Amino acid sequence: MNEHVNGSGGAVPASGAPSAGAAAVGAGPGRVLVAVYGIFALAAGARAAVQIARQFDEAPLAYLLSAFAALVYLVLAVALARENRVLATVACGIELAGVLIVGTFSLVDPEAFPKATVWSGFGSGYVYIPLVLPLLGLFWLSRRR
Amino acid sequence: MIGPLATGLIVLALVIALVSLLTTALNKAMGNVLLVALGVLELGLLVQAGLLIAALVRGEGPAETATLIGYMAGTVVIPPVAAFWGVGERSRWGPAVIAVAGFAIPGMVGRMLQLWQGTA
Repeated sequence: MNEHVNGSGGAVPASGAPSAGAAAVGAGPGRVLVAVYGIFALAAGARAAVQIARQFDEAPLAYLLSAFAALVYLVLAVALARENRVLATVACGIELAGVLIVGTFSLVDPEAFPKATVWSGFGSGYVYIPLVLPLLGLFWLSRRR
Repeated sequence: MIGPLATGLIVLALVIALVSLLTTALNKAMGNVLLVALGVLELGLLVQAGLLIAALVRGEGPAETATLIGYMAGTVVIPPVAAFWGVGERSRWGPAVIAVAGFAIPGMVGRMLQLWQGTA
């Protein structure tokens, strides 16, 4: 509970954020979210780049999906950092839809995804962080309205 | 790739992560100690990257060279970005950013060791 109080206190003028009235989504705990999304963009993006460069023919769909997921993480991190709520919410929605759809697909029909993506098995290859991240993001965005 | 250096970097990163978490729990902003520790970590990661590149140039190294280089680049980039991003936040959430980086580095260095030894 006191996290909320301190979270609001985090919006001290440090950055020259345009809207002083609305609670900043890229400040306080939002900073941590941006850091986590950034690291995921880096990790998933680098992995997808290597896979696409070296063995694209093995599983083009899976590798393209990984690259797409990395791109959405990047958009999400930048949108939060730059206080673009709409874009951040859309990106969270895409992440959530992606992890749910691909996760379900990979369980129902494993043949469809021979190679793991970030979203396979609801992100089980990444300790389910891909499933938790968009929920966390949406929760954070809704609390800072 | 040198085992002791990698191990030392993993331990240092974990210590930084734990101290950062403690700082967040105590509701304090970033201090200079954390920044200096991050600087030392970055220096060590740069040395490791230099040694790795030298070894790769000599033709040593695993089959998964591209993946290894990807991780190496990641480890060098993360601490300065985290420091920049954490210092900008003058609240308990600044050190929390450092904690995220502190937990990411051991994972990445650990994966690099695995790749180097060919166990994964």
